[in-house]
Amino acid sequence: MTGLDPALLESLLARALRRGGDYADIFFERKRSQSFRLQDGKIHEASVGMTMGAGIRVISGERSGYAHSDDLSPESLASAADVAALIADDPNAPARSIAIVARTVPAMYDRFDEAPIDAAIIVDYLHRADTAARAIDARIDAVNVSFASELQEVQIAASDGRLVYDRRPLMTLGVQALGTHEGRRANGYYGDGGRTGIDFFLTTTPESIAQRSGRIAATNLDAREAPAGEMPVVVGGGGGGVLLHEAVGHGLESDFNRHGTSLYSGRVGERVASDLVTIYDDGNLHGERGSLAVDDEGTPGQHKVLVERGILRGYMQDHLNGTLMGVPSTGSGRRQSFRVMPQPRMCNTHMPAGDSTFEEIIASVDRGVYATSFAGGQVEISKGDFVFMVAEGYLIEGGKITAPIRGATLIGNGPEAMTKVTMVGNDARLANRSYTCGKGGQYVPVGVGMPTVKLSSCIVGGSRVG
Amino acid sequence: MSDSLTFAVAAVEAAIAAGATDAEATASIADRFSAEARDATITKLEQSRSRSLSVRVFVGTRRAQLGTSDLTTAGIRELCARAVEAARFVAEDEFGGLPEAFATDLDALPLKIASDDVSARTADAKVADILDLERRIRAGDARIDNSNGSRIGDGSGETALANSRGFRGTFRSTSASLGTSPVARDGEHKRISYYGTGGRSYASLDSTEFVASEAVRRAIAMCGASTPPTQTMPIVFERDVAASVLGDLFNAFSASNVAVGNSYLVGKVGEKIGSDLVTIVDDGRLVGGLGTSPFDAEGVATRTTTVFDAGVLTTYLYDTYYGRKLGAASTGNAGGGGAIGVNNLYLRAGNGSLEELIAATPRGILVLDTIGFATENASGGYSRGARGLLIENGALAGPVDGFTIAGNFIDMLAAIDRVANDLRFDSSIVSPSFRVAEMTVSGLG
Repeated sequence: MTGLDPALLESLLARALRRGGDYADIFFERKRSQSFRLQDGKIHEASVGMTMGAGIRVISGERSGYAHSDDLSPESLASAADVAALIADDPNAPARSIAIVARTVPAMYDRFDEAPIDAAIIVDYLHRADTAARAIDARIDAVNVSFASELQEVQIAASDGRLVYDRRPLMTLGVQALGTHEGRRANGYYGDGGRTGIDFFLTTTPESIAQRSGRIAATNLDAREAPAGEMPVVVGGGGGGVLLHEAVGHGLESDFNRHGTSLYSGRVGERVASDLVTIYDDGNLHGERGSLAVDDEGTPGQHKVLVERGILRGYMQDHLNGTLMGVPSTGSGRRQSFRVMPQPRMCNTHMPAGDSTFEEIIASVDRGVYATSFAGGQVEISKGDFVFMVAEGYLIEGGKITAPIRGATLIGNGPEAMTKVTMVGNDARLANRSYTCGKGGQYVPVGVGMPTVKLSSCIVGGSRVG
Repeated sequence: MSDSLTFAVAAVEAAIAAGATDAEATASIADRFSAEARDATITKLEQSRSRSLSVRVFVGTRRAQLGTSDLTTAGIRELCARAVEAARFVAEDEFGGLPEAFATDLDALPLKIASDDVSARTADAKVADILDLERRIRAGDARIDNSNGSRIGDGSGETALANSRGFRGTFRSTSASLGTSPVARDGEHKRISYYGTGGRSYASLDSTEFVASEAVRRAIAMCGASTPPTQTMPIVFERDVAASVLGDLFNAFSASNVAVGNSYLVGKVGEKIGSDLVTIVDDGRLVGGLGTSPFDAEGVATRTTTVFDAGVLTTYLYDTYYGRKLGAASTGNAGGGGAIGVNNLYLRAGNGSLEELIAATPRGILVLDTIGFATENASGGYSRGARGLLIENGALAGPVDGFTIAGNFIDMLAAIDRVANDLRFDSSIVSPSFRVAEMTVSGLG
């Protein structure tokens, strides 16, 4: 197992608690990465990377002290422990003796290889994707393909005696297709991968990813300006889960709720959505981007019910906020790297299937928008206003999908929008695995998923009035 | 030799030993401090030294790069070998390779990007500042009953660049920032805001009194906001959100996007696109600027580049590679990792204050904040969630939120019809407030 010597970890934890404090932990990370990019039909660039270091945290009540070091000598780590210890100031703190015991973690990832993926295979996949994207539409004149893979090995030791190791693969193939039509440029993007190895592409081929990207680009080349104003919006299955992530998910992260800055603070047990709405956040879905055998504090990834038939059931907890709120961690403590402290974060946020068929949902809309592909979103957690950006969308006229429209931002308010969920499809699915979430400057891979969902009204931020 | 330069030179030597025909390495070593306060409690205290190394290797005209935090000799050697191996899978590229000319005038530059006051300031003094912010925002208005924390942070470091053509450059730089995020109670809603200040020294920052009052003003101003009806109207972007528009615009004149067709400005150099008021400059050597450095990530001298001159697109921003590819010289905008970056990018200030601009606007919205981000580099489509204040008869009226503003960058640039004089260099991308004559507001109805 890759990591620091357990005896050294025990002495560092004891040292970190020398001035007092309730809890200390050490996060060691060794992440090897590689990426290749294709541009203009040629392999344009390759990169390799290594992130290695350790971070030491001391928690004293609601106070956290932190220091990290990329120099793994015992002396440098001891200095980091001393800096982290500064947050506590108990002159009478008794000397602590820490004993850590290794625990096993569940298998959570698809099969992957220890060694970096063979560059010749990657290069072949990039060329295949390039060819497939160009073949979709003669107007596509530029294709950019990127492949990235990493293996992050972590070791987490805590003063409560835990010692865990996890080895997390992550891989993405992303294709951007661009074209020109009548002097106007448009693009499409699609990516897929997950916590998986290169065998993933035996079933989800580079061609299938590239074709999806090419089709989005071709659609956008023919698209007209999106309408502006309030109207029914049908949010497509899979990637539509971005809606849940923004409208509800962030507001249920426990740091915002412990501090009372979220609009969902203190509302467990209350109705926050229509009774058609159930939302889960799962850390334990095999191979998904947001899945974790253990989180970055050593707690196993788990199934969490956030909203059940419209009723708020609970928050996503990390160690610090769970302890202060008197509940266990839900395995939601995540961090971008050893250089930063963990925060409560989402894993894979999704909604189970409802009863309606896709056809019923579309047929129910006289004039509205069907949004099928999303470029991401953002939320302001206190009032709860959120946006999510449509990358591929269509008008619905007279119960039928008609003309494509150019990307527009949809805006709503969390509970208000969730109350307007009036139909939920029977076609629940997880999105393609290409989403990354940012919070407090930290980026972590996540998953989203949803059946087709109808919002009876939503503001569509297009530029065409009337 | 400084520590960072020692690492950079060692990395170049390791890359050449691994089979590279040319190599370039950037090493940085920085001490960082950050703290957060909530109400009367210091909730976070962080302090660390970070070291990192990035290397570009060339095998003939093929290139690969590496980034690592493992600065052991064995670690550097192993990764250099992997990068050289990876480069063999990259296509021959006639535009690849190190620049021909490097910055030479390094010692004489009065850049003022490092200040002793950053390392001199004690942790106690820094912590006192954020406790002061927490007190001031709560005292600022009875409706402020919570906060998302006040934060202070600084960095003090050294960056070194070395390459196999003999270039050796180092510079020291510092930065400091301070900000707060009050939450106001507004009936059943909470209104959160943020205001912050940044600079190369603590002395250059706004006072805690000013930061707290600006943050409080922004939270309170939004109390009672409603969603406006769907319509077209003039939009005034206040300077911080104006800077974010400029940041979106940068993506379109970054040569790396232009070269792959991912820009609405492809083929438009020499064309008059913006109004006469649109003069946009990137200045790599602005004294004390947060984006200032003596040389870019390839060792090319930084300089001043006028990207838009009175509305005419005069150039894209280039590094060496994309300059060669598109037939231009580097503008000193290599940003590291093969990306093109801004130095200090700004829209030239106009005449008159923001207040005068508002007074000259019979009807419109002063946008204080947007949410969402750009995805439409190719088409130029712009659509964001927004909040701000209505302008009626030249005066600020009620707050509005829960709406979007939309348009197309090409149209928006042409429609910038007023620019205020409130430009401040407190970030690497800055802008004075400006007005766009017409955009679509999507809200109720």
